[in-house]
Amino acid sequence: MSDNSKGLLLAGVGGQGVILASMIIADALMRAGFDVKQSEVHGMAQRGGSVVSHIRWGKEVASPLVEKGSAEVLAAFEWAEAIRWVDYVRNEGAVVTDIKTIVPPGACNDTHAWSTAYPRFEIDLFRSRLIETRFVDATANAVQLGNVRAANSVILGSVAAFVGIDLIHWEEAIASLVPKGTEEINLAAFHAGMNAPMAQIPAPPAEPAEYLGPHLIDIQQDWCKSCDICPRVCPEHCLKLDTDGTLLVINADACTGCRLCEMLCPDFAITIRPPAAAEHHEPAISGRKM
Amino acid sequence: MTDVKIDIQPDMTTEVTATERADVRSYLRQWAMPHVLCPGCAHGIVLRSFLEAVDQLQLDQDKIAMVAGIGCSSRLAGYVDFCTLHGTHGRAPAFATGLKLARPDLNVVVVTGDGDGLAIGGNHLIHAARRNIDMTVLLLNNSIYGMTGGQAAPTTPEGAIASTAPQGHIEPGFDACKLLMGAGASYVARVFAANPIEMTKVMMDGLSHPGFAFIELVSDCPEYFGRYNKIGGGPEMLNWIAVRDEGIAGPLSEKRFVEHIPVKPPAIGVKSGVLQREIRPVYAGVRAAEGQHT
Repeated sequence: MSDNSKGLLLAGVGGQGVILASMIIADALMRAGFDVKQSEVHGMAQRGGSVVSHIRWGKEVASPLVEKGSAEVLAAFEWAEAIRWVDYVRNEGAVVTDIKTIVPPGACNDTHAWSTAYPRFEIDLFRSRLIETRFVDATANAVQLGNVRAANSVILGSVAAFVGIDLIHWEEAIASLVPKGTEEINLAAFHAGMNAPMAQIPAPPAEPAEYLGPHLIDIQQDWCKSCDICPRVCPEHCLKLDTDGTLLVINADACTGCRLCEMLCPDFAITIRPPAAAEHHEPAISGRKM
Repeated sequence: MTDVKIDIQPDMTTEVTATERADVRSYLRQWAMPHVLCPGCAHGIVLRSFLEAVDQLQLDQDKIAMVAGIGCSSRLAGYVDFCTLHGTHGRAPAFATGLKLARPDLNVVVVTGDGDGLAIGGNHLIHAARRNIDMTVLLLNNSIYGMTGGQAAPTTPEGAIASTAPQGHIEPGFDACKLLMGAGASYVARVFAANPIEMTKVMMDGLSHPGFAFIELVSDCPEYFGRYNKIGGGPEMLNWIAVRDEGIAGPLSEKRFVEHIPVKPPAIGVKSGVLQREIRPVYAGVRAAEGQHT
């Protein structure tokens, strides 16, 4: 960057406090006498989407956006977001990341077995660019202090060393920006973050169970009254009411076994059987005779 | 008398795996099926949830006595393979009281409707609640008299069309749960027929409650209420009741049961969940008569 300014990136998931944390950093930098510009992207954030905030500071800053490969440090509130935004960090920079995992909806690649492709924690992942990775268990630290929502202050404490301004500016910025009544816990969380040890990398998640096939949709036609509830509630559009009122299974392979149709059938006409049980067909139901 | 207030909602987290689940159709009287209820009537969904609750609690079929009065909802007792008693209009709680006193070993369940329980039999219902007789009352509220042709019921919301209110009902509707809380029911809950899992959990909770448990099940009547009010059939009515569900704390969002089904007024929101739960002495008449006060 031509104007000798420095850049920092914060990345996380909607609801983690990324925006507030970036406001605190910007405020602390202004208190330290820098010119600061900050910009964020939080489009689908409320639905658990990616949130990223750029901060640039220096003697005079013209634009808020951090150029790729120029940020001093990436403060990630979640491991997948760290990988998503690491391109912005300069060679020999640093990544500070929470060891929290939030599986994005798009990472679920199999609606049958619900298996997900979440990246594994690897301390050497960014080693080729000489980027130092620092894992912080911010959530556990915040829970220990009594409020999980202070996790963003723990991350702030962990990145403070990379910003290089006096502690007093941080403390003033936190006290003035966090919600009233939470100043104490956020300051405690900030200090905990400054002294946080390298976190233990959590064990990778267990492999998903083998996919046994779709569930079996068993329709008792003589009890069905063609009320059209099940075709309308099926999320996978497995069922269809024919023009003559017969209930048809049109997409049997897509059944995930959510049982909405079974539970919402007023006429007991649908039974969903798991794939394992579907192999050995149960005999017809044996009611007691009156 | 010590009133112990417990403000805990039933545990909604436990999942029942498919292998543990029995086919609830085995609790039905097969020869009587399919039942007489109209296509899309949510009363069948309520019955299914009840049978799942019975199945999960592993109750003995021969130790359950289902007592019903008159009405669409009361027809449900005819289809379950338990001990059943189909009584006179509105008097199901009275029959059930006598039954419980004579046979305290039975799990007495009253299934009644909004007309049966709140209009014709309102008197019996509130006094069973006041005495804290150990029974579970399932009140299926479909907001109308379904069986007799769609007349306005005590629970018909203001403004809704009924056969006796062709230009809109001019009276306000009844809040059954508030009535029963006032009458001293030790357990009061309201659940919506569009939430079968919550229904099962609350019914399990109510069946396990020592004392008078009242559960209002917000059901529907697509044939009369849905048709007169131009809401639609079974799926549209399910959606209509789902949007009225405000939970325990109030409306969360404009949730829709099925996104693409439009919701038409009148849809007045009501609170759901366990609204009252307290432990107080259960009326045990037989023991009292024998001088064995407990």
